[in-house]
Amino acid sequence: MTSDRIDLDTLRSGARLAGFAWTDAELDEIRTQVEAALRLLRVLESVDLGSTEPTTSFRAV
Amino acid sequence: MPELVWAPVTELARMIASKAVSPVEVVRAHLDRISALDGDLRAYITVCGDAALDAARAAEGALMTGGAPGPLHGVPYALKDLYDTAGVRTTGGSRIFADRVPTVDATVARRLAQAGAILLGKLNMVEFAYGPEGLNPHYGHAHNPWDATTPRMAGGSSSGSGVAVAAGLAPAALGSDTGGSIRIPASLCGITGLKPTYGRVSRAGVLPLAWSMDHVGPMTRTAADGALLLRVMAGYDPADASSSVLPVPDYPVALTGDVKGLRVGMLRNGFLDAAAPPVQAAVEAAANTLVSAGAVLDEVKLERTSLAAAGALAVVAAEALAYHAELLRTRAADYDPEVARRLRVSAFVGGAHYVRAQQVRALVREEIDAALARRDVLLAPTTPVAAPALDERRVALGDGPSDVRTALLRFTRPFNFSGHPVCALPCGFTQTGLPVGMQLVGRPFDEATVLRAADAFQRLTDFHTRRPVM
Repeated sequence: MTSDRIDLDTLRSGARLAGFAWTDAELDEIRTQVEAALRLLRVLESVDLGSTEPTTSFRAV
Repeated sequence: MPELVWAPVTELARMIASKAVSPVEVVRAHLDRISALDGDLRAYITVCGDAALDAARAAEGALMTGGAPGPLHGVPYALKDLYDTAGVRTTGGSRIFADRVPTVDATVARRLAQAGAILLGKLNMVEFAYGPEGLNPHYGHAHNPWDATTPRMAGGSSSGSGVAVAAGLAPAALGSDTGGSIRIPASLCGITGLKPTYGRVSRAGVLPLAWSMDHVGPMTRTAADGALLLRVMAGYDPADASSSVLPVPDYPVALTGDVKGLRVGMLRNGFLDAAAPPVQAAVEAAANTLVSAGAVLDEVKLERTSLAAAGALAVVAAEALAYHAELLRTRAADYDPEVARRLRVSAFVGGAHYVRAQQVRALVREEIDAALARRDVLLAPTTPVAAPALDERRVALGDGPSDVRTALLRFTRPFNFSGHPVCALPCGFTQTGLPVGMQLVGRPFDEATVLRAADAFQRLTDFHTRRPVM
């Protein structure tokens, strides 16, 4: 999901996939925040990660 | 004898151990002050008055019979209401946990008790630690004590911890820091807050926001007090798989007051330059103070910290939702509506986002490590503005306007993402008398150098000794 504008159907599907059944009013309330979050997350999609592995533990125990 | 409610922890510990003052006097002085002021300040959710006095009497008795006092014997402190306390409710700042009474102490609470510290009570906070403003609709917003006329944010999420220490309602408190929640209230309330290296202090028994971003640390009026508390709190805990087996240094001994040759890297681009002018001026002056004491200053440009905002969003969102999913399905109406909205947004962060964020995390950490390979500490403002008014939603920064929430998190969150240790301390005041904070970032597990630099700054200045007029 990387488009700028998200319609209610997409929000509903996304919520359902995540296991939630929110009302249209609840989804509409978060629409602009979801759009803003996804715009920010697009930054992650644009980074050249090469062969960098995910960091699951930061420090030597 | 100093006024007991303003004495540092190190001094209280010394006075109590030498029997110059009774723990009962110290605890009673704090309880009286809480009674007088906390109705307005709302730093506390639960005050453990009777238990604290009982513990103080026991501590006094132990001293009279010649028992060897622990390093914090008889010294009162308070806990963010995120830390489990056996027999004392731990609400997480939420109505959902209003009656939740743990049966086991959090590890750090147990360690502080073993060192002789006395719990005054449980402190106000943003619900489930999910916010930097310090607002809580269930228990009341904690009020910043530095402005008696305009209600101002204390910062969060450890809002009560910041207010209690700043206002003399506790000589020390514990907070937690997932995106800045120790350092933001430290900055806005004019106190010293330490976010240790990830894994330095056990998180066992602390309600999580995001497991891989949560840090536990002390909030005090001096770096020396922070060093003493960290010495007691830090160390491996089998109950926390992320806790480090690295030995715990004697942090108080490291506080030599000497910064000759200390290599300080100023974070200007994206940090100092983005702060509001009064903050810029105070942090620049602080850097000059360190230089005048022999530190060596240069400038550092971090290119990758801009990735930290996106990465931290993905990690916190995914991990917070993992913890809250069931509660969000069954108790949604009982959440702070703002926290509920943030959790709902989290549902749209996918697994691939989360994994990419963890890859980006390695890159961000690598860059900060490289900067610290040639320097001892990095210096930056803690927050780009001083305390906003409670109803303020947008602020003017050095690089343009911003919403308050994003602004408050901007300079702190990268170091939760990377896990480096950071000490936030006051470095000045605005023209209207609001505290300004700076942060010192160190190498992993080098809290000793970070605290040494902070303590040395506090020996050269008096910002940390000023008190709000209440």
